[in-house]
Amino acid sequence: MAKFKVRHSKKDIPQEAKKLCESMLSDLEKAKRPVLHAVKCSLDNSIYDPKVGFLTPGDKVVKTELNVSSVQKMARTVFMLEILLGNLKSGATNTKRELYYVSKGLVRSNPTLKPLDFDDQPESDAIIDFIGDMLEVYREEMNCFANDRGGQTYSQNLVVTETLAEGEQAVVDLSTLGTTPFQPKNKPQQFKVKSKKGKVDFCLVIESEGTANTLVANGMHKRHNCIIIGAQGVPSNGVRGWCKTLQDQLNVPMYFYGDLDAYTLQNIFRTLKAGSAASLIRNSDFSAPEVRFLGVLPEDVKKYDLLCYNVSEKDSSEARSLKKAKDALQNDPFFQDKKNKRLADILRWLVKEKKRCEQQAVFSVDPKDPQILEKIIVEKIKSGSYV
Amino acid sequence: MAKITSSSTAEYFAKNLQQVGFSSPFKAVLTTLKEAVDNSLDACEDAGISPKLFVSIKKVGSGSSKNTDLVEIVVDDNGPGLEADDLPKVFGEYLASSKFGRGRCSRGQQGIGISAATTWAQLTNAAGVKVTSKTTRMKKAVQGTVDVDIKGNKGLFKNKTSVDWDRDHGLRVEFRIDGRIQLNGDGGILTYLEGTTLVNPHLSLSYELLEDPPVVVESVSDEIPHVPPSTLPHPHTMKLGEFMTHAALFGKMPLNNFLKKGFSRISDAVIKDMVKKGMPKDLVSKPLTAISEANFKKIYQILQEVELMAPTTRSVLTVGEEGLSKSIQRLGEVDFFSVVTRRPKICDFKPVVVEVAIARFLNRGGGEEKESPVQLLRFANRVPLQFDKGACAITRSVESVNWRSYGLNQQKSSLPTGPYVFAVSVTSPFIKFKNASKETIDGSDELVEEIRRALMQAGQKLSRHIRAESKAADLERKLQHIEKFGPILVEGLVRIVNASKAREQRAEEGLQKLLGRDTDTAEEALKEAEEKLKVLKAKEKELLGDEDAASAEDEESGFPAMKKSTKKVAKKATKKTTKKVAAKTTKKAASPSKKSPARKK
Repeated sequence: MAKFKVRHSKKDIPQEAKKLCESMLSDLEKAKRPVLHAVKCSLDNSIYDPKVGFLTPGDKVVKTELNVSSVQKMARTVFMLEILLGNLKSGATNTKRELYYVSKGLVRSNPTLKPLDFDDQPESDAIIDFIGDMLEVYREEMNCFANDRGGQTYSQNLVVTETLAEGEQAVVDLSTLGTTPFQPKNKPQQFKVKSKKGKVDFCLVIESEGTANTLVANGMHKRHNCIIIGAQGVPSNGVRGWCKTLQDQLNVPMYFYGDLDAYTLQNIFRTLKAGSAASLIRNSDFSAPEVRFLGVLPEDVKKYDLLCYNVSEKDSSEARSLKKAKDALQNDPFFQDKKNKRLADILRWLVKEKKRCEQQAVFSVDPKDPQILEKIIVEKIKSGSYV
Repeated sequence: MAKITSSSTAEYFAKNLQQVGFSSPFKAVLTTLKEAVDNSLDACEDAGISPKLFVSIKKVGSGSSKNTDLVEIVVDDNGPGLEADDLPKVFGEYLASSKFGRGRCSRGQQGIGISAATTWAQLTNAAGVKVTSKTTRMKKAVQGTVDVDIKGNKGLFKNKTSVDWDRDHGLRVEFRIDGRIQLNGDGGILTYLEGTTLVNPHLSLSYELLEDPPVVVESVSDEIPHVPPSTLPHPHTMKLGEFMTHAALFGKMPLNNFLKKGFSRISDAVIKDMVKKGMPKDLVSKPLTAISEANFKKIYQILQEVELMAPTTRSVLTVGEEGLSKSIQRLGEVDFFSVVTRRPKICDFKPVVVEVAIARFLNRGGGEEKESPVQLLRFANRVPLQFDKGACAITRSVESVNWRSYGLNQQKSSLPTGPYVFAVSVTSPFIKFKNASKETIDGSDELVEEIRRALMQAGQKLSRHIRAESKAADLERKLQHIEKFGPILVEGLVRIVNASKAREQRAEEGLQKLLGRDTDTAEEALKEAEEKLKVLKAKEKELLGDEDAASAEDEESGFPAMKKSTKKVAKKATKKTTKKVAAKTTKKAASPSKKSPARKK
């Protein structure tokens, strides 16, 4: 199978892995404790530089020194590394879930490996992430891909060219797909995209897949020279990489439209725009820093008199969300940066007002007009009503 | 208009036996046993005799009521015995007692219980209690049946005969009642007998239950508890009516003398203080008989306002840490235990002593019981309380302690879990019960706090054992890790770098060295915890009177077996559990159970 590359990296993963194992073995021969270093992927080690546009790792590392407490983790790391190296050699790919079962199968066939057996998937996921953070490589570079959730794309002016494993090229003209969306799968970086005619005016990422479908069903993509994408909640790696690809290759203005609540701002929009703390080493290829927050904005609530819900601190999930929003204002470098002051202001407004407004609330503005959302979105883009 | 009639006390209780512990066939058997045993123990203590009790409970047929058996309950003691004239009073008359209102820490207080048991026997089996009694003054023992004359609240002694008896003094009672026998569980007979054994170290008990082999539990103390005499009442614990009735007992005595002689904590200075607070001076030396009701009220009110010293705590008695420590060994093989006897304290103007014993046994609990709540044994004046646990001040106190900080598992505000026995004893001449059957203590915040403190002290001692155990478990876990993961790690690395067999061998040796160092550190931590525990163990051994053993172990630095074994384990990384070794060590430290399946008598 031809090798697929997420990014241009000079890193030879099998070579790096062998070097690391060689060093561990050599330490053990000398009765010296091997130490593994991995990038600390957490908010307290995240740096946000507005010129860079996404969260990058700081200097903190997670040091794992061999002792009786860490020997299990080290043995599991070497075990999983061996599986991943095998995949790289053969060109096979797997999801994390599949790797969990691959490891279970190996344990079953070799009883001496029984102590390594994972009780559940989070245990094996943690080891895979640790290997990625340790080698500073993407899991995709270790042939471990996420599932394909979200990213359904509609446009009358977008052509996607995919270079297949066999070297052939598949060209997809989205205008020929009817109501069927194009989905970028989990390797969006391998696509070449171009517009059919002229420059695309804008790309719209909608939080709700259903609302994206409504806009398409009502013909928005036919009336406007645009690309419409359904994010389906928190954007998956596929969606994040796809937005990044579109932004880089088409240089198209990109807008995000979703709920006005702390969860959407922090977990969905911030992840799309600047990546996440858990994926610090991958954010450069999995975030679209130019995306703007189109709404719902607090000013829209006032302007269109949108129906809101009160956020009750008695509800445990809502109380947690409010607490997270307060924490983000204090600790998240993305919201602390002055470039994102207006986004932080929205968070403050949410904390203060204890309200939330759903993206679908716009349909209450004129219940008899099915195109009301499209009209408001276009109006907002034209008037620059976004953050 | 309906005719107003008056009833005797016996009539009242005959109709309301559920109020005094006869609310179900199970409780009837337990209450009958309890009342008989309480009386025997109180009598022995009063006469300065080391109690030797024999208890037998057997099914002898079907009960007259539905779903009951005819149960025979025999309690036989070596107490002073009762004179023939006293037998019908004690067993057949309500509120005839040598203890009523005396303000002492005796088990029985009112003289209701045993008469109620006779009534139950009479109501369910048409015959009262068969008694055999001998005092030192009698040449032969007197035997007969006592019935209750319910209309007249009088005992009737029937079929009176003289019999030869193989002892100088003693009392034997035989009840035949409708009932059901429950041996285990909170309301079980075994639980009662074990509880009674625990708080009465001086008791020798042998028992035969159903068809089970006889059991003998030897006494572990020669010391017969001396129930302190009651002290004079404290004025702040009395109501106006009681105050006036009390005054009537002192005849024409002048008021100042009455106050000083009739109460505790009243001196001339207090009387002066009362005058300052408004008591007319002329009343001070006035005879009690010449004082009007209105003036009594005034005196009483002023007396409540003056500051008085708290009542004396001399009227309470304790089982003592030594007695509890020895006694707890009789319940089974103790893994470890912790006992606390608090100093007497005044709660709600009443002297109280709280004692706590917590133990983990080798042969009780464990397995599935790890998740079950601990077994809580409650005692009031050395009598086990076995019903209505949830409403009791003792339970409330246990639940309010954060046992997690002492290493036990506990859901918030509930009993901790694990194979432990918690025994909490409250002793006071004035225990406030919630009901006449004395099943639960009604606790004020002050009493609950006092019980809590005792529990926390016991918890602190307990945590030393648990910590040492968790260190041992930690060492065990680490040793297992070496065995499990070490070779796999090396093999994995060897495969990835394609290394030689010689390198593999060297790496394995290196790994063992590295992890051996970690084990040494864990051993150090274990040793440290053991050192702390050793100090506690030595104290416990002293309490058990096993000083020789304590000092011998001291010389060998406390835990020779554990030390030796863990080193061996560390070197060879074998799978021997240190926990088991620890268990063996503590097993050695604790004296073996004195239960034997042969009846002593």
